[in-house]
Amino acid sequence: MISKREAHLLSTLNVASPRFYQWIAFLLAIVLWGLYAYVHQLRHGLIVTGMRDEVSWGLYITNFVFFIGISHAGTLISAILRVTETEWRRPITRLAEAITVFALCIGAPMVIIDLGRPDRMLNLFRYGRIQSPILWDVLSVSTYLTGCILYLYLPMIPDFALLAEQSSLGAWRRRLYKKLSLGWTGSATQWTLLERAISIMAVVIIPLAISVHTVVSWIFAMTLRPGWNSSIFGPYFVVGAIYSGAAAVIFSMFVLRRVLRLQDYLEPVHFRNLGLLLLSFAMLYLYFNINEYLTMGYKFEGIEKEYLTRLFFGDYAPMFWTVQAIGVFLPLLLLIAVLGLRSHKSLTIPGVALASFLAIIGAWAKRYLIVVPTLSSPFLPGQRIPWEWTHYRPTWVEWSVTAAAIAIFLLIYGLFSKLFPMVSIWETREPEPAMTEAAPAASPSSNWGSISSISVILLTLSLAAGTAHAGESPKPRKPAPTALSLEWQALPSDKLSASSAEDGPPDSFTAGRVQNGLSQLFGHLSFGSKNAENETPPSVISLKATLKDASGAPVAMQPVSFSLRTSFGLVQYGSRPTNEEGKAELIVRDHRYGKYPLLVAYGGDDSFGGARAEIPVDFGARPAPALPTAGVLIAPYATAAIGLPFVMFYGFMWLVFIYAFGYLILWRMRRSDRDKQPH
Amino acid sequence: MTLPRRSFFQFLARGTGAIVASWAVVKGISATVFREVLPARSVAPTNQKWVMVIDLAKCDGCRDCTRACGAMHFVPPMQEWVKVFEVVDNPAAGRYFLARPCMQCDNPPCVRGCPVGATFKRTDGIVMMDQERCIGCRNCIAQCPYSARAFNWGEPPHTAAELSQPYSMEYNYPHRKGVVEKCIFCPHMLREGKLPACAQGCKMGAVYFGDEMEDGVTNSKGETIPFTKIAKRGAAFRLLEELGTEPRVYYLPPASRKYPTPDEKKALEMHS
Repeated sequence: MISKREAHLLSTLNVASPRFYQWIAFLLAIVLWGLYAYVHQLRHGLIVTGMRDEVSWGLYITNFVFFIGISHAGTLISAILRVTETEWRRPITRLAEAITVFALCIGAPMVIIDLGRPDRMLNLFRYGRIQSPILWDVLSVSTYLTGCILYLYLPMIPDFALLAEQSSLGAWRRRLYKKLSLGWTGSATQWTLLERAISIMAVVIIPLAISVHTVVSWIFAMTLRPGWNSSIFGPYFVVGAIYSGAAAVIFSMFVLRRVLRLQDYLEPVHFRNLGLLLLSFAMLYLYFNINEYLTMGYKFEGIEKEYLTRLFFGDYAPMFWTVQAIGVFLPLLLLIAVLGLRSHKSLTIPGVALASFLAIIGAWAKRYLIVVPTLSSPFLPGQRIPWEWTHYRPTWVEWSVTAAAIAIFLLIYGLFSKLFPMVSIWETREPEPAMTEAAPAASPSSNWGSISSISVILLTLSLAAGTAHAGESPKPRKPAPTALSLEWQALPSDKLSASSAEDGPPDSFTAGRVQNGLSQLFGHLSFGSKNAENETPPSVISLKATLKDASGAPVAMQPVSFSLRTSFGLVQYGSRPTNEEGKAELIVRDHRYGKYPLLVAYGGDDSFGGARAEIPVDFGARPAPALPTAGVLIAPYATAAIGLPFVMFYGFMWLVFIYAFGYLILWRMRRSDRDKQPH
Repeated sequence: MTLPRRSFFQFLARGTGAIVASWAVVKGISATVFREVLPARSVAPTNQKWVMVIDLAKCDGCRDCTRACGAMHFVPPMQEWVKVFEVVDNPAAGRYFLARPCMQCDNPPCVRGCPVGATFKRTDGIVMMDQERCIGCRNCIAQCPYSARAFNWGEPPHTAAELSQPYSMEYNYPHRKGVVEKCIFCPHMLREGKLPACAQGCKMGAVYFGDEMEDGVTNSKGETIPFTKIAKRGAAFRLLEELGTEPRVYYLPPASRKYPTPDEKKALEMHS
């Protein structure tokens, strides 16, 4: 039942050399040191890192993007090869899928390490806003991690059953394998169900993987910053991720082949085929790099000028050009030489492995160059701030945590290789039944709507004020008492457009704005649109002040000053002279809403005394309080246009997981033998 | 392919029925999930729309606004909620000073990007910041094109006066580690009918503040001008208008300055 090469594979689980323990101890030491650094950071805050207000994301976010990128190829390559029924994939699928799962397990917590308040992490679930790219990340990475764990686990089930019967393994391990095998007996029904579950997972994991790195890139692309504000970022990140991930798969193949002596399984053909894949992705990545930087560099304009200057010629230039050389050009040339030239055929394995190693190093540095230079070239470059704020240098804490992250990755991968066979035993033993199903991916739909025209409400209220009582005062020397009365009237607002050429056209900034959203289906959802429609055009107010002396006779040719009391002060309208009827008129065309006290005053002169009057003037009702229509996505609650595509896409994925694993495996496969029903 | 006509029509009818039914279900769910009513904290105490106008012709770069703001909010050292930039637009142009509070954008990128709603827009136009909800992811800092946000990287040094009051979102102190802070137009001052600290503290009277719906903005000297008039006649501009953030802070161009230029100042000092 167990062939010779399988016996060797099984022995890798049993035998551990002293060098393995040394390696584990070494990694553990690094992890402990990183843990110390993280506790130090928790105690003192992020002040112990090199990040400051200018460059507020650094090594941690770099690591996050890097590890999510590394996680990409494993599952994706395995899924594509499974769907296309490529036979040579069999020995490499498991080690590739394991990379994915562990890279995700390291990458996702990097964001939590970067948080200023990790203790409030659960706020993401309590108050989560689907409009935020951070929440998209939470959604996509958690879905992807679940999917990848299932996709790694499903093909391991037959191997668990096989391992549970190996008497050479320890009793506790056999019990563990027995548990994990979920009652696998290898009956025809079970095989059908397992194959079905695996093929369903393989199909859905492909769009899921593509979506995850696109979403990761959107954290950056959804900002206005130079270098990030780019619509190509999604595919650029996906290609970069697959490139670095393929490199990681090849490099781990190389290491496992040497360490576990898996030459029988991992043959040169695997390195050659994956090397060709790496070569094509290196060229694709080169194309994306050229596309990204040439379109910016050709124009060399605006805010991107400063950014590109630093990247191409300035302080980031040495790193930028080194990364382009080591990360893209050198692997490209190496792969062409090793795979293309017949004379170098013997060097295929070390050559491809070296190219992969360079690509991994380059990928990490490229992530750093994506995160940091953009943040250090803001729209308003900081002034009078310390030099270190704009020139980010990671501190020992960040380097320690990064080293620990890599160490944990290697540690888990190493322990996994000792606990579980890194090459699928059953898959490398017999041909696999054909694939059956294909599931379509959900696609977001959107609709455009417009807000309707502004309705006009005009208030025509008028108030009348009483006039002063009579009195006699013929003495010319002593100033005669005067009385002021004031009345106001709202004029029709069409007079506004006719008479106010100076003021320009009436404001139309709310009417012209196109609103985003599924307005037909969710017309009631867009915030503030109704209030914008109700916004009244400002009233034109005509003010008439009447100045009379004590006898009631009008006082002519005297200046009367008008002013209006607002929250913080008086708006002065200046003075108007009274006419023969003692009346002074002022027309106010301010964009004002609400009721305000209007003051009118007469300073008096030698013959007349001063007078003042105050009446409330209504400039029309204020629009109801509302959030500005300009910010469609700032609503405090979920927005349908953004929320639905994400919820539907990842919700669909969860449904598929529940079907493939929960129903097919846990429900039907486990019971199939218990019922003893022949199939 | 042989498909009976009848079953084809049956298929069509069923499909239409299914679409209509799912439409109704989705609409029902969406009406409950995507609510319309604003939460209480998004509704401002008064129905006003705050707006700020900064006259660059009057700003001589003395940074009194920064100091007044720092004193009022006990802003931790190395943070400046109102920052004064020295700007030279091109090699030929003279330099001028530009005070940059938070722009309180009407289309705020920070609010869009906040994963937990710790920063949110209020109906009076203020972009508020809740330090009790912030998780410190700093996405808002990455989003803000005006660099108007600061982060408490370590435990900020405290003063007794700062700690004497309970935390309030309206004045954003006592300060705490690991959260983002920014200018919030002093809502606790506006409640009392007073100008924000920076507008009050500006000796040059360069900072005007008021209610857009009241159409009046007032500076520290008590000068009140209709906002529409000052914005239109003064050809007011907004910072980085091309980004579409729709700030609530307007600037009057630094033309015909009302203060000695830095070079003139130097010359004056040398004479005296």
